[in-house]
This record gives sequence, structure tokens and C-alpha cells, in this order.
Amino acid sequence: MASLMQKRLRRDPYRLHLRLFLLPFLIGSLVLVVLPALATMAVAFTEYNSIGVPSWVGLENFGRLMRSDYVRISMVNTAIFVGLAVPLRLIGALGLAMLLQQKGRLFGWYRAAVYLPTVIPEVAYALIWLWIFNPLYGPLNLALGWLGLDPPAWLATPVTARLAIVLMLSFQIGEGFVVLLAGMQTIPKSFYEAARVDGASSWQTFTRITLPLLAPWLLLLTFRDLILSLQNTFTPSFVLTYGGPYYATTFAPLLIYEIAFDFFDFGLAAALLVLIYLVMAIIVLSVLNLVQSRTEFDA
Amino acid sequence: MRKRLRLIGGGLRLTTGLLVSIVFILPLYWAVIASVREAGAPPPATIAWWEPDPHWENFAAVFEIVPMAKYMGNSLLVVAGAVPITLLVSSLAGFAVSQIAQQTRDWVINLSVAMLLIPSAAVWLFRFQLLVWLGLLDSLWALIVPAFAASSPLFVLLFNWNYRRIPAETFDAARLDGAGAWTTWWRVALPLSRPTLIGVTVLAFVLYWSDFISPVLYIYNPDWYTMPIGLQLLNQVGSTNWPVLMAGSLIMTAPVLVLFLLLQRFFLHDLSLAGLFDRN
Repeated sequence: MASLMQKRLRRDPYRLHLRLFLLPFLIGSLVLVVLPALATMAVAFTEYNSIGVPSWVGLENFGRLMRSDYVRISMVNTAIFVGLAVPLRLIGALGLAMLLQQKGRLFGWYRAAVYLPTVIPEVAYALIWLWIFNPLYGPLNLALGWLGLDPPAWLATPVTARLAIVLMLSFQIGEGFVVLLAGMQTIPKSFYEAARVDGASSWQTFTRITLPLLAPWLLLLTFRDLILSLQNTFTPSFVLTYGGPYYATTFAPLLIYEIAFDFFDFGLAAALLVLIYLVMAIIVLSVLNLVQSRTEFDA
Repeated sequence: MRKRLRLIGGGLRLTTGLLVSIVFILPLYWAVIASVREAGAPPPATIAWWEPDPHWENFAAVFEIVPMAKYMGNSLLVVAGAVPITLLVSSLAGFAVSQIAQQTRDWVINLSVAMLLIPSAAVWLFRFQLLVWLGLLDSLWALIVPAFAASSPLFVLLFNWNYRRIPAETFDAARLDGAGAWTTWWRVALPLSRPTLIGVTVLAFVLYWSDFISPVLYIYNPDWYTMPIGLQLLNQVGSTNWPVLMAGSLIMTAPVLVLFLLLQRFFLHDLSLAGLFDRN
């Protein structure tokens, strides 16, 4: 019986067909994602205006980047954004996941409420916050005034404009929230019961059980958020402030867009992208190093 | 004593949860209130929690100020093209990955994870170049093409995980009955993956319905504008016409919101399914 089955399985073109099934995805990914990304890296070392033939210029694009004030400002902006938004989004998602992991219909609806801002389409979401942040009659400042607080000018001054974009993106944390909820389900309940029997405080339970066991998930989310911050500032800064005031919200993606599609300087845009990706890689590797030297966990 | 403390703790959690929920719903609620204010009326001096005299005509004005119906039609065309292609490519590839030899499977999975780490900005320049070469720039195809790469490698991984949970004997039995790969996929694998099909459909719908960057980069002819660009136009035409702007934003949000409310219980009430819903 077994040999008959194997014979039949070997004879039919099943394996060949499976390969064919894989082909559209592989070709699509190669043509639309992998090759464009590789070509971008190559073009970083050339002068290329999207028409004609790229000409090799070595590291000149990187030299131009170093000398540019706009690039420096956008790097600082991006660093500030990443430094504030990535930890805030992660801590927010973790705190909410811990608060709302309870069973019960009501908590199901609470979780839905937390996820809600994440599903709103980007431009609609940006416009809604453009209204909320309106310094004179936006609901946020009216609410702050009602509470007796001094309302800031939000999008009109550099410091508060950056904060505003961090704030609005801190509401779109549904993805990390759901991933951490799933992560928490994998922690055996018996661990918490044992901790309670031993008389551990809730802070000890958190630092000794929850945090270490969630570490791989948190790490994964940190990396994803770092990568995402290379794209999720684009629409807010495009719609809300168009990089202003005084270039305070000119984050890296917006500058790349301007260099590439307003000035058609593909070489310089590609070089900026490579530079930022290098910085990200360094951050990722040093975070990984730090975590590995501190704790030993198995994913 | 201990019981009472836990009761208080439970109550506290319930109240905090409620407050948090209110804060997360607030932006959308404020948009709804602002959308039904009288257009052109002086802006509110105090915070409005209710609109006694709702002006629903603001929602009609969205379609009069810019040709939003046309843009909506274009968005629907993109979704109608991209979502089925995404489902076909990702479920076929996911099926293949779940069935092929271990070595090839690991290779494809590693490739997929690596591709998840490529930011979309990295492909902007040469996606543009490619579309020029293919003659697809400035057409709705420019917005649909990512579907041929399954839209996101994550979708392939989701289908793979789904098919891997189906016992191998199920597929072997179909093959012994003389079913080829195509029939096994269509008759056996697909009917057993309804939650994944629903999940990927919703995620792909949201991805293409909301996509703002692609039309900004690749669409120049107003005939092919999609709804996100229409909203941005609405903003440029009358950036202080808040009621109409908010009405437009809500029209765009509505289909996504309905889908979310219908399906949220699958991934937020039953926590075991939570892992399926990682949005890219």
C-alpha cells in the first residue's frame, strides 16, 4: 500500500505544479520588490535623473548629503521622531494589552475601541487630526482650555508640530497591541499562579515573568516600528504640515520624495535612502547586542 | 479582605478600560460632530459634544466640490482588481510553500521575512521606473501591480500557516483519489481556510482602499485619481471648510469601519486568532 502510494505520488506532476504555484509570487516579488530595492542601492553611487543612463560618480552623492542642511535637519527630525514615537507606541501597546487582556464581552469591545484608529485610512486620519489640532477652534485646544490648561499652537510651531505627529501616530498602535495580546496568551497561567503563591508583588510579576517572556515579541515590534517609521510619517507630514513649520516635520521619507520626484535627482534620493537604512541597521544591531548581553532568552 | 481587594481591582480595570476606550474613540467622534455642523457657520467657541441641528447635506457637498464619485469609482476598480489577484497569488504560493520540501520552504519563508523588512520608500524610485518601462505609469494598473507580488509577503505566510495546520492525510487522500495540485488547492485547501481568506481579503481591501502614497507617486491624470487623492484635493480647495472635509474623511472611512465592526470579534474577542492579524 505504502509503495503503491509512493509510486503514484512520484509519477504525478504534483511537485512540478507546486513550483508553478510559487512562481507568480516569486517573480512578482523579484520584479516589484527585490530588484527595485537592489537597483536603488546601486543608483546611490550614480548620477541619474530617471531618463537616460546613470553615470558612475562613486561616493559623491554621499558627500552632497553630508554638506546639505536639509539632510541634516531631516535626519535630526527623523531621529527625534523615532526616539519619541517608537518607545511611546511600544509602551502604549504593551500597557493597553496588559490592561485589556481580560476575558469578557465588555473587554472585547474595549479592545475594538483601541484598534479603531488603526483602521482609518491615512489621509482621512490626517485630515481628522488637522481639525483636532486646529489651534483656535480645534476640539483638542478647546478641551484643554476647558480644563484650564494653556493650549499650544500645535502645527504652527516647530517643537509642537513634531509632538503633534508623534501624538497622532501613537493612537495607531492596533498592530502592536494585537501582537502583544497574542504573545501574552502564550504565557502559561501557572507561572502567574506560582508567583501569587510565592507572594510576588505585581511589579515583580511584571519584571520577572511578563517582560522576559514577551521580550522576543517586543524586539520584533521594535524592529518593525523602526522600519515603519521610514514610511508612516510620510502622509501626516505631507497632508498636515508639508514639512513645515521651518522644516520641523521634514522627515526622511518626505525629503526623499522631494529629491526624487520634484527634482528627479534619483541618485541623491537613493543615497539618502541607503544612508538612513544603514543608520537603522546600526540601531537594530546595537539593540540586539544590548538585549543579548543583558538577558538570555530563546525565541 | 483579599476578595474585596480583587473586586476593587476588577472595578478599577473596568473603569480604566472604559476611559481608554473613550480616548481612542474621541478623534472619530469629534470628526462626526464636526461633519454635521453648518458649513460656513462661525467656528465653535466652546467644545461641542453634540450637534442639535445636524447638516447632513455636507456629505452630498463632498461629491459636488470635487468629482468624488469618479474617484470613488476608481478606488473601487483598484480594489476589485487588486484584492482577487492578491488572494490568488498569496493562497497559491502559501499552498505551495506548505507542501514543498522543507529546504525550499525555509528558503521562501526567509525571503518573505526579509522582504517584510524592506521599507516601501526603498522601492519608490524603481517602481516608478518599472512602470514607465511597462507603460503602466499614470494608469490604475500602477496601483494594482503590487497584487502580483501578493501585496505583502505576510499574506503568503498567513496562508502557509493555515495550510500547515491541516493534517497532511487530508491532502494525501485527495491525491490518491487522483486529484492534481490545482484540484487539491481549489477543492480541499481553499474551503478549509475560510478565516484566513476573510482576514487577507479585509487586510488587502484596507491596504488598497487607503493607499495614498502610490497615487501621489504614480498618478498624474485627474481621470485616474482615487479617493485618497480626492480628499487631499478637497483639502486644497477649501482647507477651512471643516464640515465638508470631515464629511469626506468619514465617507472614506465608512467602508473600512463597517468591515472592521463586522469582523472585529474574530480577532479581538477570540484572542487565539489574534496572531493572524498583523497589518502591513
